[in-house]
Amino acid sequence: MSKKLPTITGIGSVSPFGPLAGLIPPSILEPSPITAWTADGLRRAFLVQPFQPASIVPGLKTRRLDRLSAWALVASSLALQDAGIDLKEMDRSRVAVVFATGFGCIELTESFFQSAFANGWSGTDPITFPETLANSPTGHVALLHDLRGPNITISSNHFAGESALLQAASLLRHGQADLAIVIAGDTLTRTMYEWYETADLLSPACYDSEPLGKASGFVPSEGLVALVLEPAGDRGVRSYAHLHAGRWATGGEPQESIREMLGGAVPRLILAAGDGAPCANSAATDLARGIAGPDVAIIPAQAVALGLTDAGALLHLVLALSSRPDSGKALMLSTSGDNGIAALLLELP
Amino acid sequence: MPLTDMQKIIVVTGIGVVSPYGIGMAALHAGLVAGKSCLEPAKDIYPGFEGYLAQVGELPHFAAESGRWYSRSDRLAMVAAEDAVSGFDRRQASFRDSGIVMASTVAGLSEIDPEIAESPAAWYRRGNLARASSYSVARVAASVGEHLDIRGPSCAVSVACASGAMAIALGANMLLEGAAPMVLAGGSDALCPFTLSGFNALQSLDREPCRPFDQNRKGLNLGEGAAVLVLETLAGARARGADVLAVLRGWAMTNDASHPTAPQKQGIGLSLCINRAMEMADCGIEEIGYVNAHGTGTPLNDIAEANAYESVFRGRSRPVPISSTKSYFGHCLGSAGSIEAAITISAIRSGTIYPTLRLTDPIESIAVDWVRGEVRHQPLPLAMSASVGFGGSNTVLLFGDYGSAAV
Repeated sequence: MSKKLPTITGIGSVSPFGPLAGLIPPSILEPSPITAWTADGLRRAFLVQPFQPASIVPGLKTRRLDRLSAWALVASSLALQDAGIDLKEMDRSRVAVVFATGFGCIELTESFFQSAFANGWSGTDPITFPETLANSPTGHVALLHDLRGPNITISSNHFAGESALLQAASLLRHGQADLAIVIAGDTLTRTMYEWYETADLLSPACYDSEPLGKASGFVPSEGLVALVLEPAGDRGVRSYAHLHAGRWATGGEPQESIREMLGGAVPRLILAAGDGAPCANSAATDLARGIAGPDVAIIPAQAVALGLTDAGALLHLVLALSSRPDSGKALMLSTSGDNGIAALLLELP
Repeated sequence: MPLTDMQKIIVVTGIGVVSPYGIGMAALHAGLVAGKSCLEPAKDIYPGFEGYLAQVGELPHFAAESGRWYSRSDRLAMVAAEDAVSGFDRRQASFRDSGIVMASTVAGLSEIDPEIAESPAAWYRRGNLARASSYSVARVAASVGEHLDIRGPSCAVSVACASGAMAIALGANMLLEGAAPMVLAGGSDALCPFTLSGFNALQSLDREPCRPFDQNRKGLNLGEGAAVLVLETLAGARARGADVLAVLRGWAMTNDASHPTAPQKQGIGLSLCINRAMEMADCGIEEIGYVNAHGTGTPLNDIAEANAYESVFRGRSRPVPISSTKSYFGHCLGSAGSIEAAITISAIRSGTIYPTLRLTDPIESIAVDWVRGEVRHQPLPLAMSASVGFGGSNTVLLFGDYGSAAV
């Protein structure tokens, strides 16, 4: 079992901020009008603007892929580049890919249903079918970079991103991989958006062009983040954060569980990854203050990360790191409505 | 805190199965020993589809909370999980704090109609909003947690046909991490037109009952089912006086990085996976008494898999016995790896090797003893289950007999 702390050394993202390597420069982001389908009036969301993947990764062919796969290819390449990793120098059978998603390749799943609707079940498209699988993004990432280590795709209500990070850390700690690319993301489609809408979960900001306020409901988002995770000090490179420990549960006694994980440490900073509620009174911030005291500094979740729902944790983490917080121990905390928590104890350099 | 040996040894203390034979390990073992094929003409169940498939019978109804819906994959998982923990004291904190890792590829796809493509909002308003809430694979794991009132970490795995085995591997990793006192790990997938149509479009389906590892194999048949293993550390199992059914001696996950759907022809990724699992188990090729193969019956899978076994087991004093139990009830996709893990443990516990059905002209291999014809009876201290899938996924699990394990 490796005693070296898993450390984030590279970041790549394809988000409403654009495709980027490293931290995301601070900017005010408002939802964009949806044009991908016709709706009765204005509909807004945090959207990834179209771009040419081959302009970032030369030679990349993504025409037949779900956008989620294309983004995974781009973001993983940017993260490796940001980490300064030359894969030719590595044993690629010991490089893992761990991907968290809420809904997988839903765009091409919709296409498959459309072909079944138009042509019947006997007239569906053989090329589309394998690309509907939730693990096709990681399969393509493995293929692009020739990564032959563990290749994992997971989903978890509320905490998919945190769970992927912890699974990847476990692979490193137990010698099942030397390096992991951790990815989390989702695309937004009409089927998803109209589900949220019919379930009455959307913010009024989805329907008018006023700035985002603190009204109830959320603004759906799309995007994907890739992190390079490796044992601390192995290459002597810059670290964005060390991962000390993590807890994740769907219920129970959240405060007790987090205190046990902290083992007496008191974090100076809370990255409140959110629970879908406006931050000032959210369960995550209440819990954070209960653990670290009323004066603890809190970086609230941004709406763009909250809009990614189950897969938003990594985008939230990158946005929080991009605000250049002070060094020291930080607790990244998410809650779900029924006493569920995900808590990651980080050391920021 | 360093792990003691007993905290590093992962054991199986419960197994639940829902297969076309019915609920439970006894029904599964009896069906396999009897050589009963559950495959039936697809057109009898899904008019318009040709070929053969195997279906699980009527499932219990589970009431969901308002706005929720349990898909058929959810319900299969809930029944298997219930079976796995029958006899457990569910009031214990160690049970309530259990982790859950469930695999699925279909999840709630079975609940969605093609009409959703015309107008999603209109389809939801026709009373389907709750049905669609079961879409995410995470719901399969959440459903098990809701059903058994478990509150530990919960996630779902979706790596195509290796999903069920990978859920068990990740569950074992969670125990090594101390993330939960026990983990319910397995897989569940229901038959549905989406997957039937997809494999039909890929021309992967055999129009007749499948013939894994036969030179004249033509494709796979689809099935459905679920299996859940209860995993604990040996220390945890002993502390609560649990019966140990088997030891998970080794596990490994690799990727072919070769092709989006086809396996690497020489089976290099699978060979690496087998070698890594044996390394973890600290065992040699002579010690593997039986391999429950992935063995789908497709031309590409079976030759790649045979090449992997040839490469790993060449040099053994006697060929390694291998069979595919997909010949009995088809390919259960995301649950296949977990059902086959259960079958591998059943083989160890009963000293029984279940032959491949309809295997008349096997792929030639010096290193492999293709088990066919009669059921074999022999002691099996160590046996392996191999799973592979689209996207290049490979997972290998090595189970040992608790009695003969050096623990």
